[in-house]
Amino acid sequence: MVESGMVGASGHSDLTRRGLLALSALGIVAAGQRAALAASPDGQLTWAVHVSLAPTWFDPAETPGIITPFMLLYAMHDAMVKPMPGNSAEPCLAESWKMAPDGLSYQFALREGAKFHDGEPVTAEDVKFSFERYRGTSAPLMKERVSAVEAVDPRTVRFVLKEPWPDFITFYSSATGAGWIVPKKYVEKVGEEGFKKAPVGAGPYRFVSFTPGVELVFEAFEDYWRKKPTVKRLVFKVIPEEGTRLAALKRGEVDLAYSIRGELAEELRKTPGLALKAVVIQAPFWLYFADQWDSKSPWHDQRVREAARLAIDYKAVSEALTLGYSPITNSIIPENFAFYWKPPPAAYDPAKARQLLAAAGHGKGFDAGDYYCDASYANVSEAIINYLQEAGIRLKLRPLERAAFYSSYSQKKLKNVIQGASGAFGNTATRLAAFVVKGGAYAYGNYPDIDELFDQQAKELDVDKRTALLHRAQQIIHERSVYAPIWQLAFLNGVGKRVGESGLGLIKGHAYSAPYEDVAIKT
Amino acid sequence: MKQYIVRRVGYSLLSLFLLSLTIFLFVRLTGDPTSLLLEPGASPADIENLRHQLGLDRPLWVQYWRFVESFITGDLGLSFYYRTPVLDLYFERLPNSLLLAAVAMGFSLVIGIPSGVLAAVHVGGFWDNAGKIFTLLGLSLPSFFIGLVMILFFTVYLGWLPSSGSGTAWHLVMPAVTLGWYFAAAHMRMTRSSMLEVLGSEYVKLARLKGLPEGLVIGKHAFKNALIPVITLAGINLVVMINVAVVVETIFAWPGIGRLLYEGIAFRDFPIVQTVVVFGGSMIILVNLLVDILYAMIDPRIRLES
Repeated sequence: MVESGMVGASGHSDLTRRGLLALSALGIVAAGQRAALAASPDGQLTWAVHVSLAPTWFDPAETPGIITPFMLLYAMHDAMVKPMPGNSAEPCLAESWKMAPDGLSYQFALREGAKFHDGEPVTAEDVKFSFERYRGTSAPLMKERVSAVEAVDPRTVRFVLKEPWPDFITFYSSATGAGWIVPKKYVEKVGEEGFKKAPVGAGPYRFVSFTPGVELVFEAFEDYWRKKPTVKRLVFKVIPEEGTRLAALKRGEVDLAYSIRGELAEELRKTPGLALKAVVIQAPFWLYFADQWDSKSPWHDQRVREAARLAIDYKAVSEALTLGYSPITNSIIPENFAFYWKPPPAAYDPAKARQLLAAAGHGKGFDAGDYYCDASYANVSEAIINYLQEAGIRLKLRPLERAAFYSSYSQKKLKNVIQGASGAFGNTATRLAAFVVKGGAYAYGNYPDIDELFDQQAKELDVDKRTALLHRAQQIIHERSVYAPIWQLAFLNGVGKRVGESGLGLIKGHAYSAPYEDVAIKT
Repeated sequence: MKQYIVRRVGYSLLSLFLLSLTIFLFVRLTGDPTSLLLEPGASPADIENLRHQLGLDRPLWVQYWRFVESFITGDLGLSFYYRTPVLDLYFERLPNSLLLAAVAMGFSLVIGIPSGVLAAVHVGGFWDNAGKIFTLLGLSLPSFFIGLVMILFFTVYLGWLPSSGSGTAWHLVMPAVTLGWYFAAAHMRMTRSSMLEVLGSEYVKLARLKGLPEGLVIGKHAFKNALIPVITLAGINLVVMINVAVVVETIFAWPGIGRLLYEGIAFRDFPIVQTVVVFGGSMIILVNLLVDILYAMIDPRIRLES
């Protein structure tokens, strides 16, 4: 079985080239094409960023398991394969790749003409060096499974695996920073600290300056292989308080403001000249019935869990808290993940919920224990508890500070009902590994049939067969109401009147503007 | 005197030790930083790897010894979040905090002292009552509220001032006023009560009996003496302003130590929180030590009594 990388950029560019050739022959676009090629990047766009920018994010080797660093990686660096508009694994610095029939190696052909900001070409040695230097999230796992990286020639690199690993491309392209390439010669010349102070990459924007806690400035790299960026300078200003971010956007100090929530989002929506742009990120929220494996708990009864799912008006909660932008996906797996199974739409049926509770022997309702949540999302919990209460499921809210909540959640110290969420990278299998199957970091119990399906898919190299196994596992989770999925969170942002293309939402599941070479100022 | 100084230095070192122990334990009680530095759902191997990288897998006493050792050697380690030396981060932010504190202190003294004098000279009158309202608002309104109202008014409605950031004098106006108001209120109260005490003293009465003009009595004889406790308070407040402008610096995106502390707390960045708190505490302990020694030098009763 061969997984071809020719499906992404190359396919599109062929079509475009053919179209352009045809039109050029008619003499229609030639002049415009020349003008476009000659046009230099111009102007500046400024982002108000909600978190402090850390220099560690300038270096793909340090990529932690959070989504925020990708905000900068997409500007400064480029990856062999990465999520792009319309394709979750698009060949970028790699023009194509193929897997050996035995699944024990992957060979990548590098793109001709791809350069670093210092003018050096991207070579197989850089790819090998970047992988070996990588020490971020899942680094031990990747190094344990990859036995060797061979630079076959300057434009060909081969990854040799110890045993077949169906998720290799997922981890190499999006779940880690191991596939983001840094220039070997430059890193060796300036050293690790020097690289963080003056990073050089192969992305569409080059590093200009960084003032800690204040701003980060990039400038367009005109030799970027995919396309010449249209905006000359990108500035990222750190403004931690969201009211201040909105004020800066209103005054025109910034062009885009990340994370504007609740009432402020409503205010943003009403402000003439500004636009609210919601981006659905790969972070589903859910209720987890932690006691479902305890035969003495009411949550052990599947009817009770199903009643809880039917008692909540998810759409109304989304309307009230995220202006309706968080879609009700009815799954704990993000929609953009590989092997995602689309469940039936979530239903709000309080009458049926009460019937199910009565059938389970809780006609007068019952005290269902505690409801744990990350305190920063206690507003979601309050709305849900009210709906459950109306159906007769009485819960006590126990908000915990974020660090304490996730520590307790993973240490399996919580009980009754847990409101959880995850924005971790990966695919359906990696999510199930953490939250559903035996031994999962956040799994309080397990179902042997789901474990069996999971074990089978982990060895399956045939994509269709693997898809079927993972779909079946998700179906069982849905049927047994192991979880009550709430929504897939929408990240609300403000866009100013100068912005032509914000880049927000172009890449499915990605929280920030990207790809930056597509970002444009209104003309 | 030598024995007195040695004893005071000993107390200061003990205070520093207790402070370091308290902050070391407190930050660790608030949760595991790995749960904030990794997405929920991260694999146990990644969590363990990160804990190892951050040194959190070592016994608590080893971590505490490493913390104490870092202060002795001056190598305060790397920030968990930024992965850069904590000392560099601290000294990058310190000048901004000093600037903000200096301007806010200037504002608080320019407003607080004259209004305190006016209130004392016109006890029960308009200026006294106006001063009471001013201090009540300054001491009771939270700075996040004042800050946001100022942004709304001066940035959004009037468009006069930049909402946040740094770089020009205009960027300093709103954070300095927000921070300074609270302290202006405190300085005004102190000036008022100190002036009232001085105005009731025998030598002021004598000055008036001598027929000196009221302006001269207040400006030369009363004001100068009333100023001493205000200056002492302002000195201590300056140290506080440098270290605790957490809310103001966060609202106005001012890159100072307060915001560094906020970021440290938000991400459970133990090295940052520990450094900022111990450095801030050290400043306060040092100022108190100097004041103790100065008092003892000026007043022999203090050193004899102790």
